[in-house]
Amino acid sequence: MDLDKDNANPTILNPSDLPSRHRESAVKKREDGGTGLFHDLIPQYTYLSDPFEQPVSESDSDDDSVEDIDEQEIYDLISSISDPEHPLSLGSLAVVNLPDIHILPPTSPYSSISTVLVEVTPTITHCSLATVIGLGVRVRLEQALPPRFRIDVRIKKGTHSTDEAVNKQLGDKERVAAALENGTLMGVLRKMLSTCE
Amino acid sequence: MSHPQEPLSSILRPLSTLSPPSNSRTWQSAPHPNLPLVATACSDRTVRVYSLTSFTLLHTITGGHKRSVRSVSWKPGVKGQSVLATGSFDASAGIWRRDERGVEEDFTRRRAGGDGYEDEEEDDDDYQFSCILDGHESEIKSLSWSPSGQFLATCSRDKSVWIWEELEDDNFETIAVLQEHDGDVKCVAWHPEEDLLASASYDDTVRLYKEDADDWVQVAQLNNHGMTVWWVEFEGSGMTKKNFCAQRDGLTDEQARHIELLERSGPRLATCSDDCTVRIWRREPREGAEKTSANTGIPSIIRSMAIDEDWIQEAVLPQQHERAIYSVSWSQKTGLIASAGSDGKILIYKERWKVQASNGVTAEDQDTPMTEKSPLTEWVVIAELFSAHDVFEINHVCWAARSDKGRRNDDDEVILSTGDDGEVKVWVLEEGSVIPET
Repeated sequence: MDLDKDNANPTILNPSDLPSRHRESAVKKREDGGTGLFHDLIPQYTYLSDPFEQPVSESDSDDDSVEDIDEQEIYDLISSISDPEHPLSLGSLAVVNLPDIHILPPTSPYSSISTVLVEVTPTITHCSLATVIGLGVRVRLEQALPPRFRIDVRIKKGTHSTDEAVNKQLGDKERVAAALENGTLMGVLRKMLSTCE
Repeated sequence: MSHPQEPLSSILRPLSTLSPPSNSRTWQSAPHPNLPLVATACSDRTVRVYSLTSFTLLHTITGGHKRSVRSVSWKPGVKGQSVLATGSFDASAGIWRRDERGVEEDFTRRRAGGDGYEDEEEDDDDYQFSCILDGHESEIKSLSWSPSGQFLATCSRDKSVWIWEELEDDNFETIAVLQEHDGDVKCVAWHPEEDLLASASYDDTVRLYKEDADDWVQVAQLNNHGMTVWWVEFEGSGMTKKNFCAQRDGLTDEQARHIELLERSGPRLATCSDDCTVRIWRREPREGAEKTSANTGIPSIIRSMAIDEDWIQEAVLPQQHERAIYSVSWSQKTGLIASAGSDGKILIYKERWKVQASNGVTAEDQDTPMTEKSPLTEWVVIAELFSAHDVFEINHVCWAARSDKGRRNDDDEVILSTGDDGEVKVWVLEEGSVIPET
């Protein structure tokens, strides 16, 4: 895949300007690969530690702690993805931005399914790689988040000439699944995600 | 999210879970037309066949496809053997056969929890690869045999629908390549009585096709869905004798006329979509047509003009799904509808006569189709199950004949749901209610 550089001189943010918690990185890597709650259920994934270790002294119910993944944590997961054209991260190119990440809680007390909505801003309006970037974000979150999260990745409205078509593709589970069986595309995605660990 | 005002009258009780040895996504399940078997299409490139009597894994079909198996369909009306078609993301369809003459002994001989490996010891016991259908340019998304077994329809991301005819065993001829859609074709389904094919697409439309003077042509296009249409399925045959219409005592004239209309229309169509709706479509009966049978005897030059069909949207089912609906299925026994999708819920809907306001509809408004102005029937949700596959998405739901020890009569059914967790769950619909705590 020969990548034309659509945007040779993108604006680059200084790493110290990127959003963070101003404390020890929120996303702790789990050295043991264990994932607590979901580990026994679905061993083939590597999830984030879900009941995110916070002082749970008062509460011994882990039902309440499942909402502890927040927008900053999502940001940390995807901002380190490399842009497929530039040797830079999606965070420093402002392709992903903290205010464009939304976590929607379950809509019913009987449901445990939360939705993560990420709006990505391609570096220029006709960026041909918008779909690949969106796919990278979706794959990263599907691999890193527990399966109770539904992941919606969209192109931020008005920032891309064919955003509707790209959104439709990114929202199509079957197309995404088929794309992940495509060796060439997986090679590109693997390279983008190689900077995430 | 508004919940039904009246308490739900039924619940879905778990009966069994069909668990594959690997838990990669399972896409779809197909109950065998006459044996107590179900075939499942898995993303690990295999097809697994389970018993619906013992709920154990009987066969694992591997080695045929290079990518996910997306769709499976049993050929109806075959005696002495089972014929299975498989459609894959590798753009090919496979045909598999298995001798079923000794099937009865098979079920009793097998150990519970058999893992399928024992099949390799006895080759003739296995599903034999018999031929491959090549032609699509990209992933096959769905395939379906016509009720007579004469035709196999396949559809693909390449935007086309192909119709294959099996001239003799393993000799398939492409008799039509239909390229009406502007996007991936997600699903194909056949009318239960006629050679009428429906397809649903990423282009948000549903199209219907018929053979007209040796050419398959589009005869209708359904546009109301606002997003990708994921699934399309026809109602069973002769349902007015089985569903809510079966009880004919005390009907008003209007209701009697509605049943007559339904019978002239023939089986209806259900579709579901990314737009979170399930829609029911009905064919307008032809002027003067006694039955909706094929236009035999009419010269083809006239037939060409008359072949278009008029399908109207009859109903939108109560909207209680919050994300894409991937699958919808009619019960052939009761006319109930099941739906499932990304939100992990299974919903069961029932159609019933709507209680009309006494001063309401006059018998004389024949100018306006009653289905548009004041529907005589309504669909209500009778069961709603959250998290049917824990937190996972449900890719497919369908009805199957009940075959385990708990079966009480021939019409007993189970519901099969197929999920991203790789499992197929078997449910029984029972009367009873769960009062939701508020």
